[in-house]
Amino acid sequence: MSIMVSIPAGVLANQQTASTVASNLSNVISQTSASINQTATQIDCSLAPSFSGFGFGSGSGGSGSGPSFVFGGGSASGRSGFTPGQFGGGTVTGQFGGGAFNGGQSSPMNESLYTDINSTISGVAVVEPILQASEGQNVTTTLSFNGYTRDITRLDVEYTIEGIPLTASLVDNYPILPTNITAGSNLQAGDSGVVLLSENNSAYFGAGVGDAITILNQTFTVAGIYSPSSVSDTQTLYMNLSDAQAITNNTGYITSLTVFAQNSDVVSQVATSISSVHPELTVTTDQDRLNQLQTLQSTYNTELANAQASDSQTYSTAVEEIIVVVAATSLIVLFVMLYTVRERTKEIGTLKAIGFSNLTVMGQFMLEGILLSMIAGVVGIVIGSIAAPTLSALLLPSVGIGSRSATGAVIVSGTTRISGLSVATLSPELILLAFGAAILLGTLGSLYPAWRAAKIRPAEAMKYE
Amino acid sequence: MSKPVLQIEKLSKSYSLGKRNVPALSNLSLTVNAGEFVAIMGPSGSGKTTLLNVIGCLDKPTSGQVLLDGIDVSKLPENQLYKIRRDKMGFVFQTFNLLPYLNARENVELPMEGRIKSKSERKKRASELLAMVGLSGREGHRPQRLSAGEQQRVAIARALANNPAIVLADEPTGNLDSQNKQEIIKLLANLNITQGTTIIMVTHDGQAAHHTERMLLLKDGKIINEKQGTHLMKKNHTCPHCGSSIQMSDDTCPTCKKPIYSSDEPFSA
Repeated sequence: MSIMVSIPAGVLANQQTASTVASNLSNVISQTSASINQTATQIDCSLAPSFSGFGFGSGSGGSGSGPSFVFGGGSASGRSGFTPGQFGGGTVTGQFGGGAFNGGQSSPMNESLYTDINSTISGVAVVEPILQASEGQNVTTTLSFNGYTRDITRLDVEYTIEGIPLTASLVDNYPILPTNITAGSNLQAGDSGVVLLSENNSAYFGAGVGDAITILNQTFTVAGIYSPSSVSDTQTLYMNLSDAQAITNNTGYITSLTVFAQNSDVVSQVATSISSVHPELTVTTDQDRLNQLQTLQSTYNTELANAQASDSQTYSTAVEEIIVVVAATSLIVLFVMLYTVRERTKEIGTLKAIGFSNLTVMGQFMLEGILLSMIAGVVGIVIGSIAAPTLSALLLPSVGIGSRSATGAVIVSGTTRISGLSVATLSPELILLAFGAAILLGTLGSLYPAWRAAKIRPAEAMKYE
Repeated sequence: MSKPVLQIEKLSKSYSLGKRNVPALSNLSLTVNAGEFVAIMGPSGSGKTTLLNVIGCLDKPTSGQVLLDGIDVSKLPENQLYKIRRDKMGFVFQTFNLLPYLNARENVELPMEGRIKSKSERKKRASELLAMVGLSGREGHRPQRLSAGEQQRVAIARALANNPAIVLADEPTGNLDSQNKQEIIKLLANLNITQGTTIIMVTHDGQAAHHTERMLLLKDGKIINEKQGTHLMKKNHTCPHCGSSIQMSDDTCPTCKKPIYSSDEPFSA
């Protein structure tokens, strides 16, 4: 009987492990889903960078069709954590043979021209206008080529201001701000006159949380410091869009729009609509990132299905075994107690003859049955804690789990047997449960024998064998 | 005259054995007064044990009335009867029926458990009772460490625990050797005299029956004969043979030197 009692404990432990595997996978899947939704619904819109090509050509430098190159990715946000390695944010302004380029930094857009994106294009959830401006020192270098010399002035970026609208609907529902805050607090909806610095910004300004710093002759208070999640972010500080517009003399202008579609299904449709209404805009969706995430998601889903199959298999086995054990234990207590009552008929008759009530006699035998199963329970728990891993491994189907590699990719290993490793470590809850079950089973099993004892006629005391 | 403690009126009891109805007692009437020592004798199957069971509220009569201390127990349900057994009855069994896992004192305490809340009070009374039956110092002994005679003494002490109106003894000497037989019957007779305990004893043993004051012969469920026992003479301090004065402790008459108790079968045919 002790072993009987120990089996449910082992079974339950195994069951818990399988459930944990499944629920962990579920969590990963829902996290990935959230990432997919955030990424998938994001559409970046900006004017084509206004760089004129430049070239080294004979004759006066002009609008030659020389090699063009692009610096930076404009408003690389890098906030979702899945940013491909972009770098830049740098602004290169150069004068070259009369040719000028303003690579990287998106051209200012009149904010008022694009209000229709939110109001007329269907499928748009919200529009986040962004103003990005980099500040630093101009560094001039001289290049020479074929006897021509040209001075190239390059902006050595010290920090990049990113102005974003701090409205509640955006701040609360969309990933528009960095999340990895290391000191102080993040920007809140409605904040003005405060900035969120990157760790590099903090070093550059020599300022910590609560300090006042001056940016373009305007004083700001440092609300918090964040740790950038990608290299493109290291010099970006965040502030309210209106503050950014004011200090950079760009009131009414922005450098890009981030449009969030209502869901990932309508993204391409929204992107097409924006392109057709505003052909001047460069519209990008994160299809590559999306594909990557979706592949990951489907892997997770397969894993989950495997885990759930194991789980349900384990569960039904566990339930069957527990039912068998419960029934068997009750039956054992029942028969032992029935035998006891039979053996002690005369004693019971005597007790009743000398004045014990039916209730007292019944209580006495119930108590004995419960005591019996409690002792069995204790022995069972001791045996169970030693033997449960082996027992449950023998009794239960193996549970397949995948392990995650360090890179976050899932290595599918559906047949991994985890017996002994994570199976059947008896937790205090399980021990209590087993003990409670023992008491319950004892009660159940001794109910009928105790009733039988109570019904014994006191005249039995007079019978002699 | 002392008041009746047991009044049986037209008592009948029958068992159904399959289709047959077997009468065990038929139309039996009996009155026992407080302080009496009564022997019920009779051949096997005469209904002795059935009568004892009915008196002891262990069995219900088919018809008739049983008044115990004025209470009609023939009408009481089981959930009342156990209290009657506990408070009004003391049982002495042929096989002693002590609980083997309890020591002498705990066995004597058993009937008091429902009545006396205080454990120390029960303990005290149990020790007193054991002293009364001559077992002081043996309180802690379990039944298996006591002789048969000692076990029956413990059983007698247990029967007296709640100061019962009647002690019912079913063949109390049936499982004892002759010496223990003598001691137990003397103990019962002594308790009857010193404590005034009413005792009804079923016995096959004529010698034991002579120690009582009333001997009843039961046959086919009826009382067919009644004789006076020697015990009554002893109570009156009179020698049954020569009529001279005798003491309680005397086994033989100091005057005529005859044994006071007869060893004849009282109802020999």
